[in-house]
Amino acid sequence: MGVLEDKANARLFYKYLSTVYDEVNSFIWTAEMRREALGLLSLERDDRVLDVGCGTGFGTEGLLDHVDTVHGLDQSVHQMERAWEKFGKHGRVRFYRGDAERLPFRDDTFDIAWSSGSIEYWPDPVAGLAELRRVTRPGGQVLVVGPNYPSRRVLQELADAVMLFYDEDEADRMFREAGFTAFRHLTHGPRYSPDIAITTVAEVTE
Amino acid sequence: MKEDLMDIICCPVDKHELELDVEERDDEEIMEGTLTCTECGEVYPIEDGIPNLLPPDMREEAPA
Repeated sequence: MGVLEDKANARLFYKYLSTVYDEVNSFIWTAEMRREALGLLSLERDDRVLDVGCGTGFGTEGLLDHVDTVHGLDQSVHQMERAWEKFGKHGRVRFYRGDAERLPFRDDTFDIAWSSGSIEYWPDPVAGLAELRRVTRPGGQVLVVGPNYPSRRVLQELADAVMLFYDEDEADRMFREAGFTAFRHLTHGPRYSPDIAITTVAEVTE
Repeated sequence: MKEDLMDIICCPVDKHELELDVEERDDEEIMEGTLTCTECGEVYPIEDGIPNLLPPDMREEAPA
């Protein structure tokens, strides 16, 4: 269990991280990777789309190129304040404070549920994935971008100590346990680190 | 928060419907108010136009 898998610590961490987050984040989660992830989805302009762990709004920004409105949820106001600067507080994004593992939305509400750069901080990722599935309508899609487990040992130790990283096998296990049956993974990244991220897109069935 | 969000939100804990009580409105935005679970009675605040639907055990600290 990493230190961030404690929610109080995670909140404190985010409070300080939010000041530099978009700069730091841009090294591992680029506009090109965001474009690739968006390309895995079938988006219509009037789709109801949820961004879980929207944070400073990097993923939200990409989604807004494809849909009129995005529902953005985050536990931290400090992170969301950066998103409010970009999109306004009451514009095309509906903001909520909430917990990824206990979403405040009814069953089958969204056409698309998206979460990028958030799952690594969830104490119980399977519970969070199950919630994404619950709030997405049958026929809709769930897309999750997370950090791929590093291949270099020194980074593995860091990864194990700080947060959740997972490879394709682990992603298979988590998505299956969360009740998904149809999904696929894409590993991607910038040229200097081409498999730093793992993106999973799942079709909600039943 | 726009009132039509009442159609999609629910109590994060037991997923039951919420009841809206508006204290302050600015055009179509609800700026201050509460959302109360019709089942468990938990009260969730609307703070400066943003619904705070964190479960009670995460609703912590004074704002920094």
